[in-house]
Amino acid sequence: MSEKALRLRRRISRPGLAAVFTVALAAGSAVFLTGTGEALPPGAPKIGMVCTQGTLAAGTRTFNLVANTGYVQTPDGNSMFMWSYADADAPDNGQFQSPGPVLCATQGETVVVNLTNTLPEPSSIVFPGQDSAVTPSGGTDGLLTREAATNGTVSYTFTAASPGTYRYESGSDTAKQLEMGLYGALVVRPDAASCPVVAGTGCAYGASTRYDPSREFLLLFAEIDPNLHHAVETGGGYDINALHNRYFTINGRSFPDTVQDNDSLLLPTQPYGALVRIQPNNATSTAPALLRMINAGAANHPFHPHGNHTREIAQDGRLVLAPGGDAASTEHFGETIGSGQTIDYLLRWDNQATDSSGASFNDDWNPTTNPFPVTQPNYRNLTFKDGNTYYSGSPYMGYKGTLPTGTVSQNICGEWYFPLHSHALNEFTNFDEGFGGMGTLLRVDPSGGCTGFAASTTIVGGALKSGSVTALALDDATYYQVNPKTTTRPTSTTATQTTITVASATGFPTTGTYYVRIDNEVLGVTGGQGTTTWTVTRGQLGTAAATHAAGATITALATDWYAGFTGVPAGSQNLKVTYKGENCATTTAPTCTAITSNPPQQTVKVCDWTVAGAAGCSTATSAGWVTLPAPPAQPQSVGSTDVSSTWTLPGPANNYIGTGANGGQVRVLVHTDRWTAPSPAAFSTWGNFMKIVYDAP
Amino acid sequence: MDSRHDGTSRRGFLKSVGAGALGTVAAGGLVNALGRGLSSPAAAATTELSLVATDGYASVPGREGNPLYIFGFVQVDPALSVSDLIAQHKGHAKTSAPTLDFQQNDDIKITLTNLGLVQRPDLTDSHTIHWHGFDIPSPLNDGVPEVSVAVPIGKQLTYFYRPHREGTYMWHCHFEDVEHVQMGMTGIVFVRPIQDGTTVGGFTKFAYNDGDGSTGYHRHFAILLNEFWVNFHDGDRDIQESIATDYDPQWFILNGRCYPNTLLPNDSASLPAELRLGTPNPNYDDAVDYSQPNSALIQVNPGDRVLLRLANLGYQQHAMQLPGIPMHVVGQDASLLRNGTVDTSYWTNTLYIGPGEARDVLFDAPAYNAASPGGTDSRGDYNVYYFKNRDWRRLTNFGAPPGPGGMMTEVRVYATALPPQTVVSQTYV
Repeated sequence: MSEKALRLRRRISRPGLAAVFTVALAAGSAVFLTGTGEALPPGAPKIGMVCTQGTLAAGTRTFNLVANTGYVQTPDGNSMFMWSYADADAPDNGQFQSPGPVLCATQGETVVVNLTNTLPEPSSIVFPGQDSAVTPSGGTDGLLTREAATNGTVSYTFTAASPGTYRYESGSDTAKQLEMGLYGALVVRPDAASCPVVAGTGCAYGASTRYDPSREFLLLFAEIDPNLHHAVETGGGYDINALHNRYFTINGRSFPDTVQDNDSLLLPTQPYGALVRIQPNNATSTAPALLRMINAGAANHPFHPHGNHTREIAQDGRLVLAPGGDAASTEHFGETIGSGQTIDYLLRWDNQATDSSGASFNDDWNPTTNPFPVTQPNYRNLTFKDGNTYYSGSPYMGYKGTLPTGTVSQNICGEWYFPLHSHALNEFTNFDEGFGGMGTLLRVDPSGGCTGFAASTTIVGGALKSGSVTALALDDATYYQVNPKTTTRPTSTTATQTTITVASATGFPTTGTYYVRIDNEVLGVTGGQGTTTWTVTRGQLGTAAATHAAGATITALATDWYAGFTGVPAGSQNLKVTYKGENCATTTAPTCTAITSNPPQQTVKVCDWTVAGAAGCSTATSAGWVTLPAPPAQPQSVGSTDVSSTWTLPGPANNYIGTGANGGQVRVLVHTDRWTAPSPAAFSTWGNFMKIVYDAP
Repeated sequence: MDSRHDGTSRRGFLKSVGAGALGTVAAGGLVNALGRGLSSPAAAATTELSLVATDGYASVPGREGNPLYIFGFVQVDPALSVSDLIAQHKGHAKTSAPTLDFQQNDDIKITLTNLGLVQRPDLTDSHTIHWHGFDIPSPLNDGVPEVSVAVPIGKQLTYFYRPHREGTYMWHCHFEDVEHVQMGMTGIVFVRPIQDGTTVGGFTKFAYNDGDGSTGYHRHFAILLNEFWVNFHDGDRDIQESIATDYDPQWFILNGRCYPNTLLPNDSASLPAELRLGTPNPNYDDAVDYSQPNSALIQVNPGDRVLLRLANLGYQQHAMQLPGIPMHVVGQDASLLRNGTVDTSYWTNTLYIGPGEARDVLFDAPAYNAASPGGTDSRGDYNVYYFKNRDWRRLTNFGAPPGPGGMMTEVRVYATALPPQTVVSQTYV
């Protein structure tokens, strides 16, 4: 891993974040991260719990696991020798991974787990919490179950009788094999009868525990004693009584590695991230996130979420119920999970706008309409630790502010970050460095995704009437106004000539046929675009050819301008463009004169950078402009009443996000023309509001 | 210079004070939200509070003449400038931090000023305030430096909270928290329910908006559990690195004090020296700092319904007992233990509380019985019950002579009635 600086095995320095955060920077800069590893199924999400599904046939789900050895990385530059299970059916055919694969099954299925053991001693698997007897076959007799000898196999069969969060782990020489890492998660989902289908939700147990399946997170805790692992690595003496933990992991990684993507190339043997990423709940998005917490370590761990309470609904695969069967869930901002336990939590993020009676708390914080009632600090008077922060520069959800020069920000679009971590703070460390170890981040994204506002405007067909890019930031009475381009005819024009010279072609299209108006005649420009000598057709669009005096004004019949957005990360998806604007029948007056007939036609386009790079979107008619797809269909008739439309480009948005010198840029073009008969009068395009929304990676 | 530890029995120092000599209430280290108190529920108000963060020294039995170096928060006069704050408070930290008492739905503004460290001019650490467990509407006020901001030396930041969930929480510095929390920047904060001031079930003060008085109380006490590990304290004093994963504490504390110091009253300048826990400050020519102002003594009347607001900011799990009196856990982590109509509260004799967790515990003070174990102090005869850690390794003071110590305090039930309580954790001398 050349990208990650190798340091001394134990950094003797002040606990700090500068070095370890250089790894975390990779996620935002897109310099290191290209592609993903192959421990996980193709298409596995980058954030959230990833299931290994095994092979399902006739009600039996089979997993093929191999116990093998390998190394994991810690953020202080150390490398730990581990034993673990791997999925022999994974795309990488069972390369070492820690922890073992997340086995997912459905209630009622017969589960078969075949184990091949490449470790230097016999190994096995036990399944704590499975109701029905686990039936082993093959292998040799062991203390807790049948074992596979070195290079041998053993098989286990059981019925996944109850939904819940469980563990699987070695049942052999447990003082060594569990310490070395032979554990993994087993998740059993409720059957269809227990969880009637409700679109957009799943059930953790029954219908009383519905959650948002796109917000399902696994937090598997463990500890590592480097000396014990080194002893196994080198064949030295192994004394579990000398256990002294130095590393504390979630899903096999230590913070800040815990917030990297699943299957990150930075961590090839540690495929599972632990970032918890949610959006606020609201009227249309009511299902909470589900946190499945498993303690595979030897120590108890007091886990503390910042930001909000979590609701504990189940322990060890059983709902917490009162004697009468009613839910007896409890809320926590700290809960110690014992060694070997599992706990399930639901996590909501609600705007505290109203109290239980519905009265307003007035907590809908907003920088313009409801700011926090304290003076906001000058960030130059405050510390950003190690010059790196996940803070956006603004305390408000969805807003970014200005950070002091030199502060690196990991923030994408004003989302919030809170740590989730062990409150035995000696475990919230990487050996001797603080803010590491058993911790991860809760990331709360703005509702609906990230929002971007235009940073610049460029007119490629027309002339500025008034306003600036800031007019597009708010849906209000301020407009960005663009007139069609004009030039002049230095000499007089006869009624029949088909070649005319003009004072300037700047701002007129450089390719394709377009129309211009001189006095009451519309001419079609069919040749010489981009030069000052045009080939024209006379008397177009129902107008009559006529003579024109020297110095006559030539007016284009279209406006073209684009807004530039910046800071959109590569890998974003589901780009949405919203534009609200109108057209007015004046090129000079500050108030809008209504267009009463023959409204202009508007087409909004987005730049596809892959066509020809920046050149592909440099003029109004460049080949890179892609008309945004219906709905709504385009072109649209837009008169003198604001029309607001939102278009969606589903799926990956990488074609529309610039790279290199144009990195992170999105361009949206508004083309408005009034090319229909009868002869149109003057018009100008008034843009009120434009934004983009996207799902950041 | 500190003669308090020489030969004074743990009951002697309270016997020595005449009954009428000090009728005033000692309320050191406590903040009572301005304009609140025990009147009927009022519209939301704004509470403003100023704190500073700096270093100092504290005493533990067994380290006489060699005080423990600490960091801490101190409540200060909001009118003082930063220069005045530095002149008056730098190097005079206290632990545990003031207990903060707020009202549900009020606006809370806490201004934190970082005064720097006298003992360590080379250490340019910032500080923050993290209200642990708060449902926070912006990371800016959550106090985690890596995802928001921190307050450098000589600067200030005003934190804002509008608490909507009543109950018991804790607060601490989150800058390099493994170090700063252990160094003593820890305290309890609680939020009174809007039900306070109404009469429900015979009570007018409640832990939660229970609707039925089931969390009502007569007296309440805030007790913060923690440990001291010598490596961080001596190490930070002597510019030595400490490896947090070697954590192995020597002293076990309630409200910043080891038993028997937990029995001293809340500090007050009006108390005689033998009732005050003073520490000579080596950075100020051994001038005495009263740097551990918060008592853990629980003084009650027979029949009182008593609320213990407990929080654990140590790194170890603790099991607390109150032999002779069963404990009713009615709240945890600022949540009423009730799910709809299902009562999830529980009775116990051993209360487990892990790091970062809070518990609201009710108990009924038994009737006074002259034949039961007890003693006599300035308030007269009392029965004694011990609120203590079940792990007997945490009932000693490292380096001190054998005898009970550490994470223990006393519940004293008096034969002669005490006046009603007016502030949390009130002590009577």
